[in-house]
Amino acid sequence: MGGIGMPVVTLYWDELEKLVGKSRDEILKRLPMLGCDIERVEEDHVDVEFFPNRPDLYSVEGVARALKGFMDVEFGYVEYSTKPGNWKIHVDESVLSVRPRIVGCVVRGLKITDEVIRSLMEVQEDLHWTIGRNRRKMAIGVHDLSMVNFPLRYTAVDKNFSFVPLDFRDEMSVAEILEKHPKGREYSFILEKSNTYPMIIDARDEAISFPPIINAEKTRVKESTTDLFIDVTGFDENVDRALNIIATMLSDRGGQIESVEVIYPDRREASPDLSPRKMKISKDEIFGLLGFSLSDDEIRLSLGRMRYGVEVGEDEVEVVIPPYRADIMHPWDIIEDIAIGYGYERIIPEYPETNTVGLTHQWNDVRELIREIMIGMGFMEVITFTLTNERVMYDYVKRRGEEWKDYTPVMHPLTEDHTIVRTDVLPKLLELLSHNKHHAMPQRIFEVGDVVVNMQNKLHLAACSTHAKANFSEIRSYVQSLMRELDVEWDVREGDDEAFIEGRRGDIFVNGKKVGVFGEVHPEVLQNFQLGYPVVAFELDVSNIFDVGELL
Amino acid sequence: MFSPLEVTLIKALEVGKKYKVEEAAKISKMSVDAVFKAAYLLQDKGLAKVEEEKWKEYSLTEEGMKYLNDGFPEEIIARELESIESGEKSIAELEKKFGKELVSIAIGWLRRRGCIEIKDGIIRLIKPVSIPEREALSIIYNDRMAKVDENILKILVRRKLVRIEEFKETYIILLKKPEAELKGYISDLTPELIISGAWRGKEFLKYDIHVPSKDVFPAKVHPYERIIRECRKIFLEMGFTEIKGHYVQPSFWNFDALFQPQDHPARDMQDTFYLDRYIDMDDEVVERVRATHENGWITGSTGWGGEWSYEKAMQLVLRTHTTAITIHYLARNPEPPVKAFCIDRVYRREAIDATHLPEFDQLEGVVLDRNVGFKHLLGLLKEFFVKMGFEDVRFRPGYFPYTEPSVEPEVYVDGLGWIELGGAGVFRKEVTEPLGIKGKVLAWGLGIGRLAMLRLGMKDLRRLYLPDIGWLRNMPAVKR
Repeated sequence: MGGIGMPVVTLYWDELEKLVGKSRDEILKRLPMLGCDIERVEEDHVDVEFFPNRPDLYSVEGVARALKGFMDVEFGYVEYSTKPGNWKIHVDESVLSVRPRIVGCVVRGLKITDEVIRSLMEVQEDLHWTIGRNRRKMAIGVHDLSMVNFPLRYTAVDKNFSFVPLDFRDEMSVAEILEKHPKGREYSFILEKSNTYPMIIDARDEAISFPPIINAEKTRVKESTTDLFIDVTGFDENVDRALNIIATMLSDRGGQIESVEVIYPDRREASPDLSPRKMKISKDEIFGLLGFSLSDDEIRLSLGRMRYGVEVGEDEVEVVIPPYRADIMHPWDIIEDIAIGYGYERIIPEYPETNTVGLTHQWNDVRELIREIMIGMGFMEVITFTLTNERVMYDYVKRRGEEWKDYTPVMHPLTEDHTIVRTDVLPKLLELLSHNKHHAMPQRIFEVGDVVVNMQNKLHLAACSTHAKANFSEIRSYVQSLMRELDVEWDVREGDDEAFIEGRRGDIFVNGKKVGVFGEVHPEVLQNFQLGYPVVAFELDVSNIFDVGELL
Repeated sequence: MFSPLEVTLIKALEVGKKYKVEEAAKISKMSVDAVFKAAYLLQDKGLAKVEEEKWKEYSLTEEGMKYLNDGFPEEIIARELESIESGEKSIAELEKKFGKELVSIAIGWLRRRGCIEIKDGIIRLIKPVSIPEREALSIIYNDRMAKVDENILKILVRRKLVRIEEFKETYIILLKKPEAELKGYISDLTPELIISGAWRGKEFLKYDIHVPSKDVFPAKVHPYERIIRECRKIFLEMGFTEIKGHYVQPSFWNFDALFQPQDHPARDMQDTFYLDRYIDMDDEVVERVRATHENGWITGSTGWGGEWSYEKAMQLVLRTHTTAITIHYLARNPEPPVKAFCIDRVYRREAIDATHLPEFDQLEGVVLDRNVGFKHLLGLLKEFFVKMGFEDVRFRPGYFPYTEPSVEPEVYVDGLGWIELGGAGVFRKEVTEPLGIKGKVLAWGLGIGRLAMLRLGMKDLRRLYLPDIGWLRNMPAVKR
């Protein structure tokens, strides 16, 4: 289990302390228990990694809102209101096949400070990356309202359409932007398959945004800006989720949110919709999942701390879910928040009564057995990577393998060294010896582990002995002793494995089936691995001799 | 008190005789190293003397051989001048006959000895020439260790005609045999002594037990396997069944069955080794998983929305976590109670460095039962970590796409503080219900590499999979 790609949010202490109303020490103590990893604590700020299911915490406003509840400064659900405004966006039929969904809102009366702009830009970036999947599914544009002339048209244009993009002085065509503008180059992959391009155009026929690539220079947010227009484009309800996170965060900052009407060819929608969702959860479900009961007050307190509205009934709890909570898919998501609000540190762990009998897997039983014998014969156990390449696995040992039938190639390998999964262990041992030439001889090593042949795991044992006098009789003696210890009837036949010297190599046969090889490693092979001492070796497909159990 | 080495040497050597070390080794049948060791120990006791002799040997260089055979350049030129009546000749003519180099060397030396005069390019012999170096060369040629005049030798060396080599030999002289101590004492207890009973009534020679002997490095289990063994033991003691699966898995078991949305960043080609191969799964489970992803099916979830691609789910990957195996096992064994664990290799498409490897081992445990919940998961974690030797365990909220609630356990390690160690959670209903799993699944996992870092004090995980034999030899079987 492991998480990836979580955005790191920078929170400035002075701002956070002011917004939450608690000292940094108190905040630092409680923050991890809300659900995040603290990356770095600095004098003026703290870098925090929030989980990808909580995009509402990607801004200082969002974190402050959550902390105020969690630290008992404020309690429960706060209603967000929108004022209906006379802002309209007409959606043209042509854009529906390119990037069909648009929502927006107007924010008035906000004091646009550097702090607000900084926070807005950070949350925009993080939302683009998480909910937006790198702007593919959702992209946000922020504009100076005074420069936007309503009503707007959301339409599709061809590549010759031109306007002045952000950070540039001259008009550029869509084609030029995709080719030359830094943002155009970065995000052109999203529109790769399209020959028309989404464009938001205002009442003066001037473009204000080319989503999901770049805004127009004309609506740039400046120090003098007092009111904002925000557009969010994409494909589905993810655009609403992102808009709600931004609208509630700016509302927390003191902005008045006004709704925007979006007129599609077949319907009208008002956005944002900041009304809360409601969910009913039975107490049985809550207590069952947590493993313990809570009083009604405890339920109320736990949910209130997590900023939910709550109505506790006889058998059921009705929860009011704030509009910025994009992650609530299932009642269990809320039950987790009850546990967090209650405090993980307060839960008393209890070992479950579940009664079962332990059982090992044969695969590892066989490995243990072989380990005992090999170590008894003086071989040191090693572990090597299973990722390797055709060069080491085949060319160096003068063998050949067939793609899929034998080896498994991976797509988009990161290095030339790791292109396939190993089908044999011996080449990996020779590779290991080549890294250990400076250590005293003799060196005797073995590995008993997985190889993948025809996409199925097999259990192989390989061993090497290297020193000035290593010879065939030594390795045969190890092979026959191993087989005696394993109580396996075997015979040896002349083989054709070019990894070994002709006349000093043998195939190991059990029940008429070839299960392994042994012999003196060919000097050409030694040279390929830059080895200076003779090496004798064997490899055995143990899963061909023993029942190694069932693999899923 | 004598060590066996000393006794062997005392017995082998004659008193007062000077032995070369190699000779002493041959006679005593010990290695040169052992002879040295014994000799120095005996010297400390005043019973032997270790002497080092140094000497020089001389030999002619190629040039020296040429001078010896053909004469020195100054000799050749002098002879030429002597053969002329006037005793003089122009440099140009000499150069024509003997070559520029030879003439210039000769002029240099003849001048230095005041044997010639040069005027207008004409050389005239004014004094007979004697060349003592010639004789010295001849002496050295016949006897490498001959005594030669120091000054002449210096010139010969400077003229690169003679080279000097230095030699060193160590000798051992046994000063006396401590007969009193050796007589009647038994040094080696031989089969003859035992069978004949001749040891009776005799004393055994007492050895110096403080003298260290040679180290031996036994073959042994890889230290990493030891940690895995320890984890397996804990799981087995707790009544878990060990399970195992193939490295190659369909995305379905690796991602979809775990309710990972198909556009989730973890499913990117960036992070996962995909294979260019697809399988077919004709199972109603696939349909239920599809419905759960798209609209939540009957799990009470909203689902991820959008359209679920069968093809994406059927593409093979190198599994990115062992959860691909545990979930498949639970799907096959959906009736509680089930307790299972898996410790095995997983793959991530990651550039290799000291703490990130493209393949590593993971441990995972699951408990399926009806009347268990989050607090029981915490109980399991606590028990597991205490058995691992981490007495102090605490829990923080965590996030994993397929668990709810999720938790990040932390353990206290002296000197390091609280360390995050793995992740855990209760499998979401969106995971268990489509697979027909009856009850709740408590799951936890962690990377074995992290344990290895804590247990073995490792800073570089690469070392585990490309071991240095010296490191393996020196790593104690138990690290305390």
